[in-house]
Amino acid sequence: MDGYDTYDVEDIRKLVDGELPWTTVQQMMKHGKDRDRFDKWVTILQGRVPWKETILLPLTPALFIVQKPGVRVVKCRCGHEFGDYRVNWKLSSLIYLRDTDDKISEVYRGYEKPDLAWTQLREYYCPGCGSQLEVEAVPRGCPPDFEFLPDLDTFYREWLGRPLPETVEFVDRTPQRIKEWSS
Amino acid sequence: MGNPLKLRDQLRLNDELFSKTGHMFGLERLVEKETDPGLYEAIWHILLSVCNTAWEVGCKVSASPVAAEGGDALWALHTPTGECICTSRGITAHVGLLASMIRKFIELGYEDVPGFRQGDIFENNDPHYGGIHMPDMDTAMPIFHHGKLIAWASSVTHVADAGAVLPGSINFMNPDCFSDGMPVSVERIGENDRYYPWYELRIKSRTRAPDWVLGDARGRLAGLITVREKLIETVDKYGLEFFEKASKEYIEDSRRYAVSRIRNQAVPGRVRKSQFKDLTMKGKNVLMPKQDVDLLSNVPMEMRIDGKANVSLSLAGASGSVPFGQNITPTALSSALLMGYSHVVGFDMFNSGPTYALTVDTPPAGSWCNPFPVDWFASTGMGWSSGIRWLSSLYEVTGRLYYMRGFVEEMSAGAATTMCAEWNGINQYGQYAVCLTLEQASNGSPARGISDGEPAAWCVYTANADFGNAEVMELYYPLLYLGRNMEPDSGGYGKFRGGLGHTTVWMVKNSPEMHYAAACAGAHSKITANHGMYGAYPTPGDRVAYAAGTNVRELIEQRKPLVHERGDDPEHPTLSRNVVADVMNNDVPVPAIIPEALHEYDLVINPTSGSQAMGDPIERDPGRVKEDLDRGLTRPWVAEHVHGVVARKDARGAWTIDADATERRRQGIRDARLRRGVPFRDWWRRECAEVAAGSNMNEAVKRMWRSSMQLSPGYAAELRAFWGLPADFEF
Repeated sequence: MDGYDTYDVEDIRKLVDGELPWTTVQQMMKHGKDRDRFDKWVTILQGRVPWKETILLPLTPALFIVQKPGVRVVKCRCGHEFGDYRVNWKLSSLIYLRDTDDKISEVYRGYEKPDLAWTQLREYYCPGCGSQLEVEAVPRGCPPDFEFLPDLDTFYREWLGRPLPETVEFVDRTPQRIKEWSS
Repeated sequence: MGNPLKLRDQLRLNDELFSKTGHMFGLERLVEKETDPGLYEAIWHILLSVCNTAWEVGCKVSASPVAAEGGDALWALHTPTGECICTSRGITAHVGLLASMIRKFIELGYEDVPGFRQGDIFENNDPHYGGIHMPDMDTAMPIFHHGKLIAWASSVTHVADAGAVLPGSINFMNPDCFSDGMPVSVERIGENDRYYPWYELRIKSRTRAPDWVLGDARGRLAGLITVREKLIETVDKYGLEFFEKASKEYIEDSRRYAVSRIRNQAVPGRVRKSQFKDLTMKGKNVLMPKQDVDLLSNVPMEMRIDGKANVSLSLAGASGSVPFGQNITPTALSSALLMGYSHVVGFDMFNSGPTYALTVDTPPAGSWCNPFPVDWFASTGMGWSSGIRWLSSLYEVTGRLYYMRGFVEEMSAGAATTMCAEWNGINQYGQYAVCLTLEQASNGSPARGISDGEPAAWCVYTANADFGNAEVMELYYPLLYLGRNMEPDSGGYGKFRGGLGHTTVWMVKNSPEMHYAAACAGAHSKITANHGMYGAYPTPGDRVAYAAGTNVRELIEQRKPLVHERGDDPEHPTLSRNVVADVMNNDVPVPAIIPEALHEYDLVINPTSGSQAMGDPIERDPGRVKEDLDRGLTRPWVAEHVHGVVARKDARGAWTIDADATERRRQGIRDARLRRGVPFRDWWRRECAEVAAGSNMNEAVKRMWRSSMQLSPGYAAELRAFWGLPADFEF
């Protein structure tokens, strides 16, 4: 395992910010993977957000699962919160459909345009800052993808070796939220 | 001297040992690696070199440009029980198929009848018994050392004509397996290093390009013999005992590598990714009435990673088999998965190891990915089609996981589509020719977490992305390449865009008549891929253009502009601006069989997709946008409206970014999103009613949902619950 874990936080920052020469990046890709990358990664990200909650997991470039008192929520880099991380955050977002020729023509033109009776182009925005968080191209009737439901307690306890102070059930709470909306 | 155990007993023991210990062959320690790591590494590289030498030899001996120029082939080395030890460069999607084929020989009792001997040649291309589709001829040869079976050599080449109902090898039009082509169903096809004459006779009478198909068969054989002879040299030099032990360790080592990467670079949990595959055939020329239909297939991926870093994948929700060659067997899909997995997870020593680091739930019986339990007659003529789209999800899914752990350099967005162009007709030598072009073997690569993808340098189904030299292809086919140019904006729109694809412009030359088909090997027509990773826009669908009965000869004589690319404006393509023709169509959805015969000076414009982008397009570095503008790789309206970059072009053609105006414009775009975005719950309430009513849903969409819900009751229950539909609701 010699040669692993040789990067410091500044090395990783340069990598993330695209400041390393491609040849160096290639070397990093070929070498054995550093096992403490996650901690350095979170250190970098924690320093870049304007809020204080501890990042438990960076979900996307804009969204994080953070620890708040007694609850883990999805939070945008801007500070907007989407609630329990076990509910698909898209249910708390703004959505916009490009469902007319005029709307789709702002992105695709002429023969590039998909057929809107076959597919919906769904844009999900952060209500706090207007970041375009995800785009889906799916037919009507497709529930929004819940891209990732992490088993956070297993991750921290068994993979990182430092259990989180409280354990929560690893379960998709999205169906429950829909049920609440339906009643 | 034989093996102490029959191979079938050894197979059973291997399975038991893996089940009991979790290690391949029960190898809880890698003793040879620990004892002599230098020799262990050295032998690995020798074996790798043996396989790559076979690739060089085999491709050189092969006749078709597919193998000889494009290198669309593979040679591999296996244990006596079939597990792949190492493989050459080339079409690595086949490694799993080759391994399962050798296992099939053993399971069928071939060790006793017909028996295995030095110089025997076995082959399969029959999907009912483990093949992917008929043109991919999987061949294997046992390797004996002093009378003991010590290994197998294997090979696959994609031959130019499968002998299917229509010419060529990308046989998406086949209505059933009886139209799939010439079968070789797990057969011994030769001995003493020679093919049986009846095997060659079958090729001569049942394929349309027998010289190329036979030539490629000889290429496979030459490579197999190369593997055997070079392996025996290696074993003689370094000892059989070390080879036998180390070869098993290479496989277990590779399995461990894949598991350790997941544990170190991913996060346990559940990943979901919807994906779809369209096939628009209604109103087109088809072979049977049941094919006069538009189809959408559901290609879902759910990946679960448990606390021990075990990965399992499910296709629950996959829709039914289709009356075209777009079905694939679970064996073939798993082989494709091994290749995809090797690209993004387990690529240190590429062999069968990563297969044992994951499990795939048996897909729904009767679905496009497991058709035979319900429809034994299903066609797999172009089995890759939907499978390739499923694999595309794998790249994005692992990319997302790697992002969470900070391995941004390993990330990838989704893959490009795969559109295969084929021609048939009389070539410049007066011979009938079927012409598989290899343009799709050089897509752009997916966006990385820190950079754009690379242009025209990547392919989802082969690590050997090579579309061949145009000048060489012109020697084989009666076509002149008027252009092979980067296709602007073909890599989607995002903070990082996918590598761009390219557009080929062909002109028919020196042929009395040619026919063209843009076959579907994983392309899109009515939809885009579902790859809006982190807010990017997916690459557009695949469209062909053509012109028949043109004035190109006159244009050449008058030295007027021709056509070298599609042009920047989809509403005013270059073809329409520069050429006059009896028939012209700039918007032919793929798959497309051009109905007209094409003649001298007729044109086809054939785009090859880029890969997918990632990130909000208005977060793209304006400097990157300027570079693309300067190089003609993005269009000004995209820069302004999609990326929010305000730029102006000077008299010399160079672009200058107005940084302040760009920032204002981008803030304006964010503000506009906040104004037009609807709270999800409000949208959901309205959408529940629209879904229940089936509003603005093409019949292909409804047919797909009906099929998915019938085949996967759990998936159906989730879908109904999400949209508040009654328990007995059907689309």
